[in-house]
Amino acid sequence: MKTSVCTVLFALLLSTPAIADPPAETIGHIQTIEGLATIHRDGSTLPGKAGATLLRGDRIRTGKPGALGIVLTDDTTISLGSGSEMTLVDYAFEPKESKFALALQFVKGTLSYISGQIVKLAPDKVQLQTPDATIAVRGTKLLIEIKE
Amino acid sequence: MNNQRPPRAECPSACKPVILLFGLLFGLLLILFTGCARQSIILVPDANGHVGKAEVSTTAGSQTLEKPGDMTRTSGSSKPPSAITTASPEYIASTFREVLAIEPPPAQTFTLMFESGTKLTADSQKIIPDIVSASQRPIAISVSISGHTDATGSDKLNDALSLDRARQIKSLLLQSGVKPELISVSSHGKGNPLIPTPDGVAEPRNRRVVVVVH
Repeated sequence: MKTSVCTVLFALLLSTPAIADPPAETIGHIQTIEGLATIHRDGSTLPGKAGATLLRGDRIRTGKPGALGIVLTDDTTISLGSGSEMTLVDYAFEPKESKFALALQFVKGTLSYISGQIVKLAPDKVQLQTPDATIAVRGTKLLIEIKE
Repeated sequence: MNNQRPPRAECPSACKPVILLFGLLFGLLLILFTGCARQSIILVPDANGHVGKAEVSTTAGSQTLEKPGDMTRTSGSSKPPSAITTASPEYIASTFREVLAIEPPPAQTFTLMFESGTKLTADSQKIIPDIVSASQRPIAISVSISGHTDATGSDKLNDALSLDRARQIKSLLLQSGVKPELISVSSHGKGNPLIPTPDGVAEPRNRRVVVVVH
Protein backbone atom coordinates (compact mmCIF):
# COMPACT_ATOMS: atom_id res chain seq x y z
CA MET A 1 0.00 0.00 0.00
CA LYS A 2 2.70 2.39 1.05
CA THR A 3 4.69 1.76 -2.08
CA SER A 4 1.72 2.31 -4.35
CA VAL A 5 0.93 5.65 -2.68
CA CYS A 6 4.57 6.61 -3.09
CA THR A 7 4.51 5.58 -6.72
CA VAL A 8 1.41 7.64 -7.39
CA LEU A 9 2.88 10.66 -5.66
CA PHE A 10 6.13 10.27 -7.54
CA ALA A 11 4.29 9.89 -10.83
CA LEU A 12 2.28 13.01 -10.06
CA LEU A 13 5.44 14.91 -9.25
CA LEU A 14 6.96 13.83 -12.55
CA SER A 15 3.91 14.51 -14.64
CA THR A 16 2.95 17.93 -13.28
CA PRO A 17 5.41 20.00 -15.33
CA ALA A 18 4.47 18.09 -18.46
CA ILE A 19 0.80 18.87 -17.92
CA ALA A 20 1.39 22.48 -16.98
CA ASP A 21 3.65 23.33 -19.90
CA PRO A 22 2.97 22.75 -23.57
CA PRO A 23 -0.72 21.96 -24.25
CA ALA A 24 -2.34 24.90 -22.48
CA GLU A 25 0.00 27.53 -23.89
CA THR A 26 -1.75 30.75 -24.83
CA ILE A 27 -1.04 31.58 -28.46
CA GLY A 28 -3.13 34.71 -28.70
CA HIS A 29 -6.23 36.63 -27.63
CA ILE A 30 -9.49 37.88 -28.98
CA GLN A 31 -8.82 41.60 -29.06
CA THR A 32 -12.01 43.09 -30.50
CA ILE A 33 -15.48 41.61 -30.85
CA GLU A 34 -18.97 42.58 -31.89
CA GLY A 35 -22.06 40.38 -31.93
CA LEU A 36 -21.81 36.64 -31.54
CA ALA A 37 -18.73 34.44 -31.83
CA THR A 38 -17.69 31.07 -30.47
CA ILE A 39 -14.43 29.21 -29.86
CA HIS A 40 -14.51 25.45 -30.46
CA ARG A 41 -11.94 23.54 -28.43
CA ASP A 42 -11.68 19.78 -27.80
CA GLY A 43 -15.37 19.19 -28.46
CA SER A 44 -16.62 22.05 -26.30
CA THR A 45 -17.93 25.44 -27.33
CA LEU A 46 -16.81 28.57 -25.51
CA PRO A 47 -18.29 32.04 -25.89
CA GLY A 48 -16.02 34.50 -27.68
CA LYS A 49 -15.28 37.65 -25.69
CA ALA A 50 -12.68 40.38 -25.65
CA GLY A 51 -9.55 39.16 -23.86
CA ALA A 52 -10.39 35.45 -24.32
CA THR A 53 -7.23 33.38 -24.64
CA LEU A 54 -6.71 31.20 -27.70
CA LEU A 55 -4.94 27.85 -27.89
CA ARG A 56 -3.44 25.85 -30.71
CA GLY A 57 -6.17 23.90 -32.51
CA ASP A 58 -8.98 26.34 -31.69
CA ARG A 59 -11.69 26.79 -34.31
CA ILE A 60 -13.28 30.22 -34.32
CA ARG A 61 -16.70 31.04 -35.72
CA THR A 62 -18.64 34.27 -35.97
CA GLY A 63 -22.43 34.51 -35.99
CA LYS A 64 -24.64 36.65 -38.20
CA PRO A 65 -24.06 39.37 -37.28
CA GLY A 66 -20.74 38.89 -35.58
CA ALA A 67 -17.15 40.01 -36.10
CA LEU A 68 -13.90 39.74 -34.20
CA GLY A 69 -10.21 40.53 -34.29
CA ILE A 70 -7.48 38.18 -33.04
CA VAL A 71 -3.86 38.93 -32.22
CA LEU A 72 -1.42 36.03 -31.85
CA THR A 73 1.69 36.29 -29.67
CA ASP A 74 3.93 36.94 -32.70
CA ASP A 75 1.65 39.89 -33.69
CA THR A 76 -0.10 37.98 -36.49
CA THR A 77 -3.50 39.68 -36.70
CA ILE A 78 -6.61 38.02 -38.10
CA SER A 79 -10.07 39.57 -38.36
CA LEU A 80 -13.31 37.82 -39.25
CA GLY A 81 -16.57 39.29 -40.54
CA SER A 82 -20.07 37.81 -40.13
CA GLY A 83 -20.67 34.11 -40.76
CA SER A 84 -16.95 33.34 -40.92
CA GLU A 85 -14.86 30.45 -39.70
CA MET A 86 -11.17 29.68 -39.31
CA THR A 87 -8.92 27.21 -37.47
CA LEU A 88 -5.62 27.88 -35.73
CA VAL A 89 -4.22 24.57 -36.97
CA ASP A 90 -0.65 24.91 -35.77
CA TYR A 91 1.43 27.50 -33.98
CA ALA A 92 4.89 27.72 -32.47
CA PHE A 93 6.78 30.91 -31.68
CA GLU A 94 9.94 30.03 -29.78
CA PRO A 95 12.81 32.08 -31.21
CA LYS A 96 15.16 30.78 -28.50
CA GLU A 97 14.83 27.24 -29.90
CA SER A 98 14.41 28.49 -33.50
CA LYS A 99 11.03 26.77 -33.41
CA PHE A 100 8.42 28.39 -35.61
CA ALA A 101 5.12 27.27 -37.09
CA LEU A 102 1.98 28.99 -38.25
CA ALA A 103 -0.80 27.12 -40.03
CA LEU A 104 -4.16 28.80 -40.47
CA GLN A 105 -7.15 27.32 -42.20
CA PHE A 106 -9.66 29.83 -43.53
CA VAL A 107 -12.94 27.97 -43.95
CA LYS A 108 -15.56 30.53 -44.94
CA GLY A 109 -16.68 34.12 -44.78
CA THR A 110 -14.66 37.32 -45.01
CA LEU A 111 -11.27 37.62 -43.36
CA SER A 112 -8.21 39.79 -43.15
CA TYR A 113 -4.72 38.56 -42.33
CA ILE A 114 -1.76 40.71 -41.30
CA SER A 115 1.51 38.87 -40.97
CA GLY A 116 3.55 38.92 -37.76
CA GLN A 117 7.08 38.04 -36.65
CA ILE A 118 6.98 34.37 -37.66
CA VAL A 119 6.78 35.35 -41.34
CA LYS A 120 9.89 37.53 -40.90
CA LEU A 121 11.90 34.91 -39.00
CA ALA A 122 10.80 31.76 -40.83
CA PRO A 123 8.64 32.50 -43.92
CA ASP A 124 8.71 28.86 -45.01
CA LYS A 125 7.03 27.78 -41.78
CA VAL A 126 3.86 29.70 -42.59
CA GLN A 127 0.92 27.96 -44.25
CA LEU A 128 -2.33 29.68 -45.07
CA GLN A 129 -5.04 27.50 -46.47
CA THR A 130 -8.40 28.23 -48.09
CA PRO A 131 -10.75 25.47 -49.28
CA ASP A 132 -9.24 25.84 -52.80
CA ALA A 133 -5.72 27.13 -52.39
CA THR A 134 -2.58 27.45 -50.31
CA ILE A 135 -1.08 30.90 -49.89
CA ALA A 136 2.62 31.59 -49.33
CA VAL A 137 3.21 35.06 -47.89
CA ARG A 138 6.07 37.50 -47.50
CA GLY A 139 5.24 40.09 -44.83
CA THR A 140 1.92 41.42 -45.90
CA LYS A 141 -1.78 42.01 -45.46
CA LEU A 142 -4.41 40.00 -47.31
CA LEU A 143 -8.17 40.18 -47.64
CA ILE A 144 -9.93 36.87 -48.30
CA GLU A 145 -13.52 36.19 -49.25
CA ILE A 146 -14.75 32.58 -49.22
CA LYS A 147 -18.28 32.14 -50.54
CA GLU A 148 -20.13 29.01 -49.54
CA MET B 1 -42.96 -12.84 -56.35
CA ASN B 2 -43.27 -14.74 -53.12
CA ASN B 3 -40.09 -13.15 -51.93
CA GLN B 4 -41.47 -9.68 -52.21
CA ARG B 5 -41.33 -8.10 -48.84
CA PRO B 6 -44.21 -6.12 -47.46
CA PRO B 7 -43.55 -2.59 -48.64
CA ARG B 8 -42.81 0.26 -46.22
CA ALA B 9 -42.54 -1.86 -43.09
CA GLU B 10 -38.77 -2.33 -43.39
CA CYS B 11 -37.99 0.75 -45.36
CA PRO B 12 -37.16 3.27 -42.63
CA SER B 13 -34.29 1.30 -41.12
CA ALA B 14 -32.95 -0.23 -44.33
CA CYS B 15 -33.35 2.65 -46.78
CA LYS B 16 -32.48 5.68 -44.70
CA PRO B 17 -28.71 5.09 -44.75
CA VAL B 18 -28.84 4.53 -48.50
CA ILE B 19 -30.75 7.74 -49.08
CA LEU B 20 -28.35 9.58 -46.80
CA LEU B 21 -25.38 8.14 -48.65
CA PHE B 22 -26.78 9.24 -52.01
CA GLY B 23 -27.44 12.67 -50.58
CA LEU B 24 -23.88 12.94 -49.35
CA LEU B 25 -22.44 11.68 -52.63
CA PHE B 26 -24.55 14.11 -54.60
CA GLY B 27 -23.41 16.97 -52.36
CA LEU B 28 -19.78 15.99 -52.78
CA LEU B 29 -20.10 15.73 -56.56
CA LEU B 30 -21.77 19.12 -56.65
CA ILE B 31 -18.87 20.67 -54.76
CA LEU B 32 -16.26 18.86 -56.88
CA PHE B 33 -17.69 19.64 -60.29
CA THR B 34 -19.34 23.01 -60.00
CA GLY B 35 -16.57 24.53 -57.88
CA CYS B 36 -19.30 26.54 -56.23
CA ALA B 37 -17.03 27.98 -53.52
CA ARG B 38 -15.73 31.07 -55.22
CA GLN B 39 -12.84 32.59 -53.34
CA SER B 40 -11.10 35.91 -53.72
CA ILE B 41 -7.68 36.78 -52.34
CA ILE B 42 -6.50 40.39 -52.40
CA LEU B 43 -3.17 41.97 -51.46
CA VAL B 44 -3.50 45.29 -49.64
CA PRO B 45 -1.06 47.64 -47.88
CA ASP B 46 -0.69 47.20 -44.09
CA ALA B 47 -1.11 50.04 -41.57
CA ASN B 48 2.40 51.34 -42.38
CA GLY B 49 1.72 51.34 -46.11
CA HIS B 50 3.96 48.32 -46.62
CA VAL B 51 2.96 45.87 -49.36
CA GLY B 52 4.43 42.37 -49.30
CA LYS B 53 3.91 39.47 -51.62
CA ALA B 54 1.64 36.42 -51.72
CA GLU B 55 1.65 33.36 -53.92
CA VAL B 56 -1.72 31.65 -54.30
CA SER B 57 -1.53 28.02 -55.46
CA THR B 58 -4.05 25.34 -56.32
CA THR B 59 -3.12 21.90 -57.61
CA ALA B 60 -3.47 23.30 -61.15
CA GLY B 61 -1.36 26.42 -60.98
CA SER B 62 -0.40 29.55 -59.08
CA GLN B 63 -0.52 33.35 -59.22
CA THR B 64 1.66 35.88 -57.41
CA LEU B 65 0.12 39.01 -55.91
CA GLU B 66 2.67 41.84 -55.78
CA LYS B 67 0.97 45.21 -56.13
CA PRO B 68 -1.60 46.82 -53.84
CA GLY B 69 -5.09 45.73 -54.91
CA ASP B 70 -3.85 42.67 -56.82
CA MET B 71 -6.57 40.03 -56.72
CA THR B 72 -6.92 36.43 -57.84
CA ARG B 73 -10.00 34.23 -57.67
CA THR B 74 -10.32 30.48 -57.36
CA SER B 75 -13.22 28.22 -58.21
CA GLY B 76 -12.05 24.80 -57.11
CA SER B 77 -8.79 23.28 -55.95
CA SER B 78 -8.23 21.51 -59.26
CA LYS B 79 -8.58 24.66 -61.36
CA PRO B 80 -5.83 27.25 -61.68
CA PRO B 81 -6.35 30.59 -59.89
CA SER B 82 -7.61 33.37 -62.17
CA ALA B 83 -5.26 35.86 -63.82
CA ILE B 84 -4.45 38.86 -61.62
CA THR B 85 -6.99 41.67 -61.69
CA THR B 86 -7.25 44.79 -59.56
CA ALA B 87 -9.87 44.72 -56.82
CA SER B 88 -12.06 47.79 -57.02
CA PRO B 89 -12.13 49.99 -53.90
CA GLU B 90 -15.94 49.64 -53.95
CA TYR B 91 -15.74 45.85 -53.78
CA ILE B 92 -13.23 46.02 -50.92
CA ALA B 93 -15.27 48.61 -49.03
CA SER B 94 -18.56 46.73 -49.34
CA THR B 95 -17.40 43.12 -48.89
CA PHE B 96 -14.85 43.76 -46.15
CA ARG B 97 -16.60 46.62 -44.33
CA GLU B 98 -17.16 44.58 -41.14
CA VAL B 99 -13.72 42.99 -41.22
CA LEU B 100 -11.89 46.28 -41.66
CA ALA B 101 -13.99 47.93 -38.92
CA ILE B 102 -13.23 45.21 -36.34
CA GLU B 103 -9.46 45.02 -37.06
CA PRO B 104 -7.59 45.51 -33.78
CA PRO B 105 -5.60 48.76 -33.70
CA PRO B 106 -1.88 48.19 -34.30
CA ALA B 107 0.00 47.22 -31.15
CA GLN B 108 2.17 49.75 -29.34
CA THR B 109 5.74 48.49 -29.29
CA PHE B 110 8.41 49.77 -26.92
CA THR B 111 12.07 48.80 -27.13
CA LEU B 112 14.23 49.11 -24.03
CA MET B 113 18.01 48.96 -24.47
CA PHE B 114 20.63 47.65 -22.04
CA GLU B 115 24.19 48.84 -21.45
CA SER B 116 25.24 45.25 -20.79
CA GLY B 117 23.98 42.62 -18.37
CA THR B 118 20.71 43.87 -16.90
CA LYS B 119 21.59 47.57 -16.69
CA LEU B 120 18.93 49.57 -18.49
CA THR B 121 20.13 52.65 -20.43
CA ALA B 122 19.03 56.02 -19.01
CA ASP B 123 17.02 56.81 -22.16
CA SER B 124 15.14 53.54 -21.89
CA GLN B 125 14.33 54.18 -18.25
CA LYS B 126 12.32 57.20 -19.43
CA ILE B 127 10.05 55.01 -21.60
CA ILE B 128 8.58 53.12 -18.63
CA PRO B 129 5.80 55.68 -17.93
CA ASP B 130 4.72 55.50 -21.60
CA ILE B 131 4.33 51.73 -21.30
CA VAL B 132 2.30 52.16 -18.13
CA SER B 133 -0.12 54.60 -19.74
CA ALA B 134 -0.46 52.41 -22.86
CA SER B 135 -1.38 49.48 -20.61
CA GLN B 136 -4.05 51.54 -18.87
CA ARG B 137 -6.06 52.30 -22.01
CA PRO B 138 -9.44 50.53 -21.86
CA ILE B 139 -8.72 48.39 -24.92
CA ALA B 140 -5.39 47.09 -23.57
CA ILE B 141 -5.61 43.35 -22.94
CA SER B 142 -2.01 42.22 -22.89
CA VAL B 143 1.50 43.43 -22.14
CA SER B 144 4.02 40.96 -23.50
CA ILE B 145 7.64 41.35 -22.49
CA SER B 146 10.35 39.58 -24.46
CA GLY B 147 14.03 39.60 -23.52
CA HIS B 148 16.79 39.49 -26.17
CA THR B 149 20.60 39.36 -26.32
CA ASP B 150 23.23 39.84 -28.96
CA ALA B 151 25.13 36.87 -30.39
CA THR B 152 28.15 36.94 -28.06
CA GLY B 153 28.43 34.26 -25.37
CA SER B 154 26.95 30.79 -25.13
CA ASP B 155 23.29 30.00 -25.88
CA LYS B 156 22.79 29.00 -22.26
CA LEU B 157 24.13 32.29 -21.00
CA ASN B 158 22.10 34.29 -23.52
CA ASP B 159 18.88 32.44 -22.72
CA ALA B 160 19.35 33.12 -19.01
CA LEU B 161 20.35 36.74 -19.59
CA SER B 162 17.42 37.49 -21.90
CA LEU B 163 15.05 36.03 -19.29
CA ASP B 164 16.69 38.11 -16.53
CA ARG B 165 16.25 41.24 -18.65
CA ALA B 166 12.60 40.48 -19.29
CA ARG B 167 11.94 39.73 -15.62
CA GLN B 168 13.62 42.92 -14.56
CA ILE B 169 11.31 44.93 -16.82
CA LYS B 170 8.37 42.95 -15.49
CA SER B 171 9.11 43.97 -11.90
CA LEU B 172 9.69 47.58 -12.99
CA LEU B 173 6.31 47.63 -14.73
CA LEU B 174 4.57 45.99 -11.77
CA GLN B 175 6.05 48.62 -9.43
CA SER B 176 4.85 51.33 -11.81
CA GLY B 177 1.25 50.10 -11.73
CA VAL B 178 0.81 47.76 -14.71
CA LYS B 179 -1.83 45.12 -13.86
CA PRO B 180 -0.12 41.76 -13.24
CA GLU B 181 -2.82 39.78 -15.09
CA LEU B 182 -1.94 41.54 -18.36
CA ILE B 183 1.75 40.65 -18.26
CA SER B 184 3.45 37.73 -19.96
CA VAL B 185 7.20 37.15 -20.17
CA SER B 186 9.27 35.27 -22.72
CA SER B 187 12.98 35.01 -23.45
CA HIS B 188 14.20 34.86 -27.02
CA GLY B 189 17.95 34.63 -26.35
CA LYS B 190 19.78 35.62 -29.53
CA GLY B 191 17.07 33.98 -31.69
CA ASN B 192 15.07 37.11 -32.65
CA PRO B 193 17.63 39.86 -33.27
CA LEU B 194 16.80 43.40 -34.36
CA ILE B 195 20.02 43.46 -36.38
CA PRO B 196 20.95 39.94 -37.59
CA THR B 197 24.67 39.20 -37.05
CA PRO B 198 26.93 36.14 -37.23
CA ASP B 199 27.63 34.36 -33.92
CA GLY B 200 30.12 36.09 -31.65
CA VAL B 201 29.43 39.63 -32.91
CA ALA B 202 28.71 42.25 -30.21
CA GLU B 203 25.71 44.32 -31.29
CA PRO B 204 24.34 46.72 -28.62
CA ARG B 205 21.06 47.20 -30.51
CA ASN B 206 20.23 43.52 -29.97
CA ARG B 207 20.62 43.80 -26.17
CA ARG B 208 17.04 44.71 -25.55
CA VAL B 209 13.64 44.02 -24.10
CA VAL B 210 10.64 44.52 -26.34
CA VAL B 211 7.32 45.34 -24.70
CA VAL B 212 4.25 44.99 -26.89
CA VAL B 213 0.96 46.38 -25.60
CA HIS B 214 -2.14 45.08 -27.36
